[in-house]
Amino acid sequence: MDNNTVSKLTVPFGLSVAVCAVVNALLVIVKEKSTAVTAWMQKLTGHHWITHVAIVLVLFALLGWIFSRANGGQGPAMPLPRLTRVVLSGAVAGVLIVLGFYVIAD
Amino acid sequence: MKEAVLLCHVLFGVACLLTTTCLFVDVLNAHEGNLARIRWMSRAAALSLWLAFMAGGWFYVVDYKADRDVILKGPWPFAHNYFMETKEHFVITLLLLATYLPIAASNNLAANRDARRLVLCVAALVAVLALMAEGHGGIIAMGVKMGLLGKTN
Repeated sequence: MDNNTVSKLTVPFGLSVAVCAVVNALLVIVKEKSTAVTAWMQKLTGHHWITHVAIVLVLFALLGWIFSRANGGQGPAMPLPRLTRVVLSGAVAGVLIVLGFYVIAD
Repeated sequence: MKEAVLLCHVLFGVACLLTTTCLFVDVLNAHEGNLARIRWMSRAAALSLWLAFMAGGWFYVVDYKADRDVILKGPWPFAHNYFMETKEHFVITLLLLATYLPIAASNNLAANRDARRLVLCVAALVAVLALMAEGHGGIIAMGVKMGLLGKTN
């Protein structure tokens, strides 16, 4: 690997972190707003939180793998400064949505 | 058993926080000589967080219900209604970031400034979120204490 090239997993899993952080937050809202969804998640694994974690982790692995297959197996061509912004934005947005939602929900 | 699981949860959470902070400082001064240590620490931080997450998850699913009832009947119901509800969800983002840390740290951080910045940002976020999780945990524990004190008074 050249000094300035990055590993093939860096961009795909970085993008996956950003997407999954937001999906995690949206899942919180859906779960809290819909008793049917919560009941379904509860039924699936015995506890809604276990299902929630499983969905996000499976999606993380799946998206990382799918992104890594893109662009002829090279992964998405994205400069690292942009990837850094995307990862930061996704993670911070996800956390802020969760923190903000429970302020409003309460 | 319940107390041991809870102690492991806190212990590994703090271990992740300390390891990530050391990692952050090491990455600031990244050179060929400390790349192996940076990669080792990134894996240690991820492993610590996974162990903290599993211990916390176990406690939350198996044992937390009794504590929740105490909190909700006590003077600090927000310890559950806000702090536990947010903690149980934002730690999933923390877990994703900690898992990503070894991947980001696998690049040549000594030669690639952009790769270094990526690791610094991810490590900083992991440290801040781990610290937040510790603070939330402290408030939740205080909520239980307030509930128990309220019952005996």
